[in-house]
Formats: sequence, C-alpha cells, structure tokens
Amino acid sequence: MIRYVIVGAGIAGTSAAEEIRKCDQEGEITLIGEEEHALYSRVLLPHYIKGKIPREKCFLKREAWYDEQRIEYLRGERVESIDTAHRHVVLKIAGRELPYDKLLITTGGEPSSINADVRGISYLQTLDDADHLLQLLGELAGKHDARAAVCGGGFIACEYLNIFKHFGIPTTCFHRGPWFWSRVLGEESGRLIESVLKREDVEVWPQTTLADISAKGGSGSAGHGSIQVETTNGLARADLLGIGIGLGRDLRWIQKSGIEVEAGVRTNSFLETSVEGVWAAGDVAEFDDPLTGHAMMGGNWMNAIMQGRTAGKSMVGERTEFRLVTSYATNIFGTEIIFIGDTRRALADEVRVEGTAGEGAVTQRFYDSGRLVGATMVGTNKDRMKLAKEIENT
Amino acid sequence: MKLKIKVDPDLCIGAASCVTIDPATFQLNDENIAVVLDHGSEPGGRVYEREMEVSEDEYETILLAAQSCPTLAIFIYDEAGDQVFPEA
Repeated sequence: MIRYVIVGAGIAGTSAAEEIRKCDQEGEITLIGEEEHALYSRVLLPHYIKGKIPREKCFLKREAWYDEQRIEYLRGERVESIDTAHRHVVLKIAGRELPYDKLLITTGGEPSSINADVRGISYLQTLDDADHLLQLLGELAGKHDARAAVCGGGFIACEYLNIFKHFGIPTTCFHRGPWFWSRVLGEESGRLIESVLKREDVEVWPQTTLADISAKGGSGSAGHGSIQVETTNGLARADLLGIGIGLGRDLRWIQKSGIEVEAGVRTNSFLETSVEGVWAAGDVAEFDDPLTGHAMMGGNWMNAIMQGRTAGKSMVGERTEFRLVTSYATNIFGTEIIFIGDTRRALADEVRVEGTAGEGAVTQRFYDSGRLVGATMVGTNKDRMKLAKEIENT
Repeated sequence: MKLKIKVDPDLCIGAASCVTIDPATFQLNDENIAVVLDHGSEPGGRVYEREMEVSEDEYETILLAAQSCPTLAIFIYDEAGDQVFPEA
C-alpha cells in the first residue's frame, strides 16, 4: 500500500488527491491544508462578494466528500520540514512526523503584503479574506463620502475595481508600472485599460508606490473610516484599501530539505522535482514547459487544476508529461482581458501588436525564435481559440 | 445515455478550462462565454443549453470539463431531468 502525502489542499492538491483515488483504491492519501474550509473556488469569491451567489455556492467539495473518497484531510495544519532521506514530513501544529512514499507539494503562493496594521486594509485570496472584505464594505454602507483605494495593477486590482464599482464607491488606483501588467502589456494595450478605468471615473495614478499608511487621527479612532494612504504621488484618503501586488512563494522550508528551487519549486515537464518521490504542482511549481522550452510558473486556475491532475496520474505510476497552453481571462468593467501561453515580454524576441487603444481592441502576439508562444487580448476575444491552437501546434 | 448540458452565462467568466478539456462540447462565443456543442457541431446555433446522446467515455470527459470550471457555471442533467453536476 502506497502512502501519498499532499502538502497544500487548494485546487491543485485536491485535484491530485482525486486523481490518485481514481487510479489507486488502496493507497493512503493525506491532504494537508492551512485553511479550515473544504475546497472552494477562489475564482468565485468576487461573485460571492458582489452577491451574485451565496457563500455556500463557493464550495467545490462537500464536507463528506473527503471521507467518501477516504482522503484524510488535515486542516489548519502546516508542514514545517521535509526529510527526503527518510521520507517523512514534520507537521507543525501536531508536532509529529508523517511518513510518505510519494509526496506532492502544492502550497501555492501568498499575496505579497504591506507592512501596516490598520483596519480597512484588504487582501483577496481566501474565503476568509472575502468575508473580511464584506464586513468592511458593510461598515461603509450608507456612508456617502466613502472612498476606496487599490494598490496594484494586475488581476486582483481588477477584481477590487469591479467590486468597488459594484458598491458605488469612488476609487483611486495606483500602481508601480506605467500601466497595468507592464511586464506583459505594451503601451497600446496599457493605454486601452487606462482609458476604460478613466471612463468609469477611477482616479489612476501610474508609476506610484505606497510610502506609508496610517489611521487618520491615530490608532483608536472610530471604525476604519479613514486611512491616510501616502504614496510617492501624494496622499490618498480611503476608507478601504485593496492590496493586489502579486504573489510570493514560501520556498525556504522546501529548499532546506534539498529540493531544488528557483522562483518556484523546479520541476521537469513531468512535474518531478530534483528529489525522487517528490512532485510539485500549481502556483508553487516552476516547471519546464515542453511547448516553449522555457521554465514557466503558473499562477492561474487552469494551470493549477491541470497540473494537479497530471501529478496525481504520475504519482500512481502513469508517468504523464504536462502539456498545456495556459490561459486566463478576466474583465474590467466589462472589457475582456485574456492572456494565453507565455506572455513574458522580456523573454520574447518580438511582440506584434494589432489594433489600437482608440479602436477599443488590442491583440499582442509573442514570438520566440519565430514561433508563436503567447498572446494577449484586451477588449476582444476574437481569434482566442485560433491563437491557442496555433501556440499549441507550432 | 442522454444528457442535458447547460451553461449559466451569468457565472461563466470565459476561463475556458471546459474548452481546453472538451472542445467538442464547449466553445466560446463572441462575448467570451461558453456555449454547448453537440459533438463539435452547432445545430440550432450557439446556445447555452443542449440535450444530446453521449457515450460513457464522452460523459466522463464532459464531467471532467464541468468539474474544472472555476465558477461552476456548467450544469449536467440526466435523462430524468435530475441534476448530476454540481451535486446539489
């Protein structure tokens, strides 16, 4: 009987557990997660915050599912270290060793945080974060001069802007780059997004970072009514500050165990780490992408679920290469934003731009040695599937 | 077996996981919302809901596609009209 241990109970880890159980009825599966909840969809959190769905509809697995599948789910638990020589992990809360035959690391990432303890600051990764944001929004109900600020220029910033608009709260958005996703989008795409924000009366402060945050009138003042957000571009008053400045990965405890890490846990295209019997999948993995020949990090839903399934298959002995043209879509005030494949401008030899901000639709194509490896679309989804196919087949 | 497959366009965000897993059953329309196909074809046009006859294997793929949807926007009903996914 094989003992499978999966560290990280998000969509990658849970998908792996499900896949393992499908193929191995006998094995002992332990899933270790930091959160207390059954699996839920982080992608649904904005729907929940905006009241489009009730809280219970965020859940992807019923509580009973874990028992039915004979998956032992250790909640509110962390792994402190891995002993790859003797094949066990050390549980931090329980303070005991847990042996494994096959180990999967799916610990994902943590939102980069700012160093300030002021009420009214929000992050948006977990269900608990969403509950907290709803509480803060509830406290602002009926406050006519309420204002919000968003720190960041990426997917989470878009979610905050959509949410604050939904609640009718005027918003200032500041970000470090000249425009949103400046490592991915060129000027034409960037200007298009900026014009969409301005059209909806968002005050946009590009090339601006956070300098300091304080509670107005010092700590202990009533409620979270006012945060003084000092930026490199001046002072923004906000009752609510949404932070979306990227994802960090805690790799030190993994590195200490002798597993190779770089920006993430390094794996080959089979999601195998440098140590035998250990796989990695999802946001934490930095894998060799057979489609581009480059190391890639995921960071989206589709990548996480597909890698989880692939790793699960491999762990039961059906060694499977991970091949996927990843893609992610969001929208800002109804304007589509779609990323497909490898969209790192720094790695591309050439980025071809089609359309203009004025036309309301811009497509970028990323080439590496003459091959199409990625694409972005803002304000359009025309050719999305054609481009995905072309990236996959070239 | 006979199935009814439905996409809720209010929930769909165009993540396209379903299209990646089962392009014969799901495609995106011009609004970037998933529509339901019958074995790659679209009799009656681009619709969010369709009844069709599928094999066991095809059903497995359709279920996998629905399970991979990050917003649970895909609903599957059996011949009796009972919802088989998401489990209510």
